[in-house]
Amino acid sequence: MFRKFDRDQRITIAIFAAIAVLVLVLALSIKKSAGFNTILLGLFYGCQYSLIAMGLSIIYSSTRVINFAQGELSVLGGALFLTFAQRASVPMLLAFILAVLVVASIGALFERAAIHPLKDSSIITMIIMTIGFSIFLRGIIKWVWGANALPVEPFTYGPPLHFLGATVERQSVWVFGFTFLVVIAVYFFFNRTLLGKGMRAAAENPEAANLVGVSPSRSSLIAWTMAAALGAAAGAMFAPKTLVGWDQGVWLGVKGFSAAVLGGLGNVMGAVVGGLTLGVLEFVVLMFIKPEYQNIIALSVLIVVLLLRPQGIIGKTEILTV
Amino acid sequence: MKTSGSGNPPATASKSEKGKSLKHLARDNSDYVILLFVALFLLTVPIWADYVSTFIMDAMIEAGIFAIVVIGLNVLFGYAGQISLGHAAFVGVGAYTTALLCTKITGFPTWFALILGGLLAGIIGLVIGIPVLRLKGHYLALATLAFGLIFTELLKTQNSVSNQSNGGIGGIPNFSVFGLTLKSKIMSSTGYYLLIWTIALLVVLFTINLIRSRVGRGLRALHSSDIAADTMGVNTRNYKVKVFVISAVLAGLCGGLWALSSGRIEASMFDLRYSILFVTMVVIGGMGNIWGGMMGAIALTFITKILELQIPQWFPTRPSWLADPGNIAVVLYGLLLILFMLFLPKGITFGLSRLGTLSKKGGGRVKDRLRAIGYRGG
Amino acid sequence: MAGDTILEVDNITKMFGGLAALQDVEFSVPRGEIKAVIGPNGAGKTTLFDVLTGIQRSTSGRVFLKGIDITRMKPHRITGLGMARTFQTIKLFEGMTALENAMVGCHSWTKRSFISNGLLLPWALSEERRICQHAFEVLKDVGLGTRAAELGTNLPYGQMRMLEMARALASKPEILLLDEPAAGLNPYETGELSSLLLKVRESGVTILIVEHDIGLVMDISDEVVVLDYGEVIARGTPAEVQNDPKVIEAYLGIEGS
Repeated sequence: MFRKFDRDQRITIAIFAAIAVLVLVLALSIKKSAGFNTILLGLFYGCQYSLIAMGLSIIYSSTRVINFAQGELSVLGGALFLTFAQRASVPMLLAFILAVLVVASIGALFERAAIHPLKDSSIITMIIMTIGFSIFLRGIIKWVWGANALPVEPFTYGPPLHFLGATVERQSVWVFGFTFLVVIAVYFFFNRTLLGKGMRAAAENPEAANLVGVSPSRSSLIAWTMAAALGAAAGAMFAPKTLVGWDQGVWLGVKGFSAAVLGGLGNVMGAVVGGLTLGVLEFVVLMFIKPEYQNIIALSVLIVVLLLRPQGIIGKTEILTV
Repeated sequence: MKTSGSGNPPATASKSEKGKSLKHLARDNSDYVILLFVALFLLTVPIWADYVSTFIMDAMIEAGIFAIVVIGLNVLFGYAGQISLGHAAFVGVGAYTTALLCTKITGFPTWFALILGGLLAGIIGLVIGIPVLRLKGHYLALATLAFGLIFTELLKTQNSVSNQSNGGIGGIPNFSVFGLTLKSKIMSSTGYYLLIWTIALLVVLFTINLIRSRVGRGLRALHSSDIAADTMGVNTRNYKVKVFVISAVLAGLCGGLWALSSGRIEASMFDLRYSILFVTMVVIGGMGNIWGGMMGAIALTFITKILELQIPQWFPTRPSWLADPGNIAVVLYGLLLILFMLFLPKGITFGLSRLGTLSKKGGGRVKDRLRAIGYRGG
Repeated sequence: MAGDTILEVDNITKMFGGLAALQDVEFSVPRGEIKAVIGPNGAGKTTLFDVLTGIQRSTSGRVFLKGIDITRMKPHRITGLGMARTFQTIKLFEGMTALENAMVGCHSWTKRSFISNGLLLPWALSEERRICQHAFEVLKDVGLGTRAAELGTNLPYGQMRMLEMARALASKPEILLLDEPAAGLNPYETGELSSLLLKVRESGVTILIVEHDIGLVMDISDEVVVLDYGEVIARGTPAEVQNDPKVIEAYLGIEGS
């Protein structure tokens, strides 16, 4: 896999890895007992950021649109899961799948109704479009589920597990497992299946894509469906831990952007790295600062990356600046 | 280059060409005429507004305040071709500066606080703009979004700036200049109405002058092809930053006026929702057009106010699921944005100009005249 | 007019990744001359112009305009020093009339900015009048006087090319870089272009032209530089270059296969 990276990228990855190790060692040595727990917590939330960021990058790479509604799709996934599992007493697994399917179809519907007809529009038109979608979803969620944050039962009950001296909640196991499987599946899809490879080709070269049998239109539809599904899964998985709240979408989206940009906007695997990194970074830094500054960490990462290296850690050097 | 009847187009044409003066290219002053009519109309509003409905004056004042920032954003988006999703932060800077100066220092002249608010916003705009405006498109959008959010987050965590429990500032005195103090909104809103709209219209005037000038051409060139503009001698980087700073100053002024006219401010007034509101005002109003900003501000203020306040009044008995009009307003607002982008992406002003081209002959002239003065739509 | 060098291209190399678009390109343009750069497609001619005008950065080498090192200068400053340019693909400003397009050309030698224009100060207004006057004169000189009030992009193709030229001329350049100005022109229009260029030269402006139309090149240029795969393979008078075996091979090599 390392053969794929050119010299410039290898340097950045090396620097990044070095800093990461340094930060981890520092953090662990200062607050040893809490250290490992914190890192696990960071990885846990990092999984959520990764899933959301993956969705963002998938959409961006095939349609060059930033989906400002990604966070809301997540919350919707969590909300639907809550309704199916607890209000409708549907078995948990089925509720999860249903929630993901419903949100995925909403994503597909939106793509067909609003994104596809506008594919040649200006950036700002598309931005307003997805922002409008996010406002719409947020309104619906508040309307249907109310203004209060709703609790969701975890997938399995039981005392927390112990792993290498750290305390791991059962829900975390589900999350790690699921995220791991999803990442493998997505990697497999984009690198080993004809459709996935075709989509990547369509992203690089829209005209030639038709030759591969994947039109940009089809690519866009699949991208939005996948991204909505990923977002919904993220929402549903984390609902037991974070509750379901109508206004959570904004920050989920913002952290998703940070993670996606960190890994390179449009780079799906990079989004995974970005998400996990952001999660760990957020919680490690939280050990040293006041809790109300938590959100500023993700924002700072976003700004720093945009100003210093907009293509992210793994991104190639496109012409992104003036 | 002096030529004498060079072998260009056929002889007859060259004769008339030589004798042609610039008179036929005399400038189209219709924008100034429109401005005059708009000013006169706005002057009449306080007279009849209260008879029609009590909320018109409130809405017009709010629209006027927002118009100031939206006109600046209109130039930034539509002429300089940039995006900002964080401008509410500049509004906040202006508001808090004005509020702090007026409340912490007794007797501080409000008009001066207003100006300082605008200036500080401009300075911050310069500091942020220089690095950020190197980015393009989506990256610029994300960067401005991030900065806007940082402002809100920092504001939430700083308790020293506020004198109230909700992180806001209360008891801001009313605007006064040369010993003349405006009465508060509750008693007589006409004073604030006139102040705000005078400022707004002056801003429009400044913008009209700018767009028709060398600077305006430079901006339009930059938006059309920044490579070609650079090559023709337009310092594109410089212009982008300048327009950004001007838009920040206007946002700061808007904030100061908002603080003075409402008497109270709080952090939630400058969060993402408002940044997005401004952006939608620009887009729905129409980006390539001087009047788009004002139209967008007025249109959206009225629409949102109607949705929030009037629905309960028009439907006093509603089913329980319709109980909270705020929810409906939000959903409809989102839907409105989506529909506008689908069907009228160039905004209201473009839609209106299309009406003007329904008849071929007269319409064509209208379009050309509009273009000659800077309209870039259709 | 002294015989000094107005433009000196000193070993310019431009790499894209591992590919050399320009390799040690070196030549100089004396004042008042019309110099042509020719070569098969992909030889790097437009890249050369981009590097000269500051739109792209050279990997190594230097460029001197009137003795000043402009290698790392931004495009708008280079234009201010007297070098103007037209583009291979027409880059007229949309939504602006022919006159307005030409008026933008005046940008580099005018200075009134935001405050003075926004407040309609008298010196801004008088500058505006001068710009309008000058732009109109230039339009008339290229034969577009009657079309001044029309949208630039609405003009027929040949006149759009003329407008790009007018826009560049409006900047009062000392050297004019033309990137395939005859592309898409019919023989009548090419003839017009020829006489226009000769007149421009007469008025003291040096011309550096990239062209495919060999006829035009032979007619008007004093000297020719031939590029192939980013390298200079020949230089001399049109007649000399025409008969140079290396040049023939470079062109035939493309056509023959």
